[in-house]
Amino acid sequence: MSDPDGLLDESAEDLFETAPCGYLTTALDGKILRVNRTFEALTRRSRVELLGTRFQDLLTRGGAIYYETHHAPLLRMQGSVREIAVEIVRPDGSRLPALVNSALRHDDAGRPRVIRTTVFDATDRRRYEQELLAARRREQDVALELQRGLLAGALREGEGIEIGVAYRPADKGIEVGGDWYDAFWLVEEETLGIVVGDVVGRGLAAAATMGQLRSALRALASTGFEPGPLLEALSEFSRRHSVGQMATVAYVEIDVRLGSMRYACAGHPPPVIVEPGAAARLASDGRSPPLDAHAAWDDRPEGACRLAPGAMVVLYTDGLVERTDRPVQAGLDELLVTIDRLAGEAPGAVASSLADSVAGAGGSRDDVCVLVLRLRARG
Amino acid sequence: MSALERNNVTLHGALDGPPMMFAHGFGCDQTMWRFVWPAFGDDHRVVLFDHVGYGGSDASAFSESRYSSLEGYASDVLAICDELDLHDVVFVGHSVSAMIGVLAANARPERFARLVLVGPSPRYLDDEGYVGGFSEEDITGLLDSLESNYLGWSSAMAPVIVGNPDRPELGEELTNSFCRADPAIAAVFARATFLADNRRDLAQVPVPSLVLQCSEDVIAPRPVGEYVHDRLPDSRLVVLSATGHCPNLSAPAETVAAIKEFLAE
Repeated sequence: MSDPDGLLDESAEDLFETAPCGYLTTALDGKILRVNRTFEALTRRSRVELLGTRFQDLLTRGGAIYYETHHAPLLRMQGSVREIAVEIVRPDGSRLPALVNSALRHDDAGRPRVIRTTVFDATDRRRYEQELLAARRREQDVALELQRGLLAGALREGEGIEIGVAYRPADKGIEVGGDWYDAFWLVEEETLGIVVGDVVGRGLAAAATMGQLRSALRALASTGFEPGPLLEALSEFSRRHSVGQMATVAYVEIDVRLGSMRYACAGHPPPVIVEPGAAARLASDGRSPPLDAHAAWDDRPEGACRLAPGAMVVLYTDGLVERTDRPVQAGLDELLVTIDRLAGEAPGAVASSLADSVAGAGGSRDDVCVLVLRLRARG
Repeated sequence: MSALERNNVTLHGALDGPPMMFAHGFGCDQTMWRFVWPAFGDDHRVVLFDHVGYGGSDASAFSESRYSSLEGYASDVLAICDELDLHDVVFVGHSVSAMIGVLAANARPERFARLVLVGPSPRYLDDEGYVGGFSEEDITGLLDSLESNYLGWSSAMAPVIVGNPDRPELGEELTNSFCRADPAIAAVFARATFLADNRRDLAQVPVPSLVLQCSEDVIAPRPVGEYVHDRLPDSRLVVLSATGHCPNLSAPAETVAAIKEFLAE
């Protein structure tokens, strides 16, 4: 390449010393053997100070642990590492956020001899990342608050009933999930609506969807919709306003005085009924697809049954019965057995034990929400 | 779920030989042992595995409640022993896995024959009359480091990393793959590791143990290795000339020789 003006007349030494990044060579244990001027400037230390110091000793203590547990082993295993974020501590205690790439140099016999490392000032980039992380945490906090607010507004017990709920967020993941529940009197001390639902997704969007479905369902229930038509209308709401597509809902209306219930499930696992002296059973009627699953679906069916005094109704989300290592039916069978075993307990204890039984069986992959209602035995 | 799948157990060497299990420490995966285990393959059934959340393990098996203490990791070790029906295991644990081995051997002595503890520390935090080397602030700093190194864990990469590559072309972009974990999981493991206090467990160790101490180890300094050696009922301490925290990578020959000598006793 022609270079008449001598623009490329650069010495190797100059290329090294004034490279636009810190450049250092260390022994395999991290002891610094050579640095360039840029690295001196970045660290605000002279090369006299730096030579013989270990590179990891220039980092924060936490960063040094990261170096020993990630950076050094990776370098040995793959010969190079890149984009490791560190903070270099300067003599005045200030910290330089930096990104580091390292590569092993080998001798002719293939044995590793030295490490070459480049260091880039990442101050602005780190600041931006921290803003992003903070924004993400804020969103999680808001979603959590919103969900707590929604879940806390439910549950007014009455003379004739006892209610217990348990909500266990999935172990994995930091965002709130889409499980929700509700319980409200349609006619005080006479007719009660109970709901457990599951909206698709997690986080702020899921919490907001949950809030909308909950309000819509309450509004529809209070204007006299019965369970089947109510879920039909809720699905129409979902379709028309693009809220909660594919959400699942179990809605149960209980006449406390007559001891009867009517119910419908949109894509949701069936409620469980336990009556004194009888085995737990699934309320398997009234099944239809999730909300807004098929535009053409109309006429959602509903089921109805009597409830003996002292009967218990259990609503729950799929996290309670679905596991990757067994079919759903096996989960439902196990649920019935577990509920039979717990039938003598108070509703709150039943709900907690059920939710914990999933966690005990290797942790829940999904949120778990359980609502247990018991009609008081008439005295 | 099978523990063998959950922990990505791989078997090597003489499959009818006495079992030798290698456990990786905080940060990377079973690849950490690749320069060491072959030296034992001729006369041992070598069992390698990844802690949940690392390497080829099933990250979906992770649960914060189970893995927020070292007992959860020790349960996994025992589950592997159960499934393979291992007895008289020589357990080689690096870094935090040294203490995981201690917990497992204390819980089920009949499974274990010997422990090899590479760079062990029963407590990383300083305490009254005890120097672990770190303050709580240092551990917070480590958690910050883990968080700053989020970058390789974008949502596009996560499925590849957890071993579910429906987009194989992304596989080529993987860097730092031996030491990659979901940052949320890594933070839980980091807390379980660096906030643990297993000093009282040392006195109960039911089997002969070897403490392999590096000469300049920031994570597990020499007085800590000596403390472990003093508290163990039956142990020998070997100080390696290797420096750093990972002699299994930086000085495999010296590490192998020390373990062989211990096993020949």
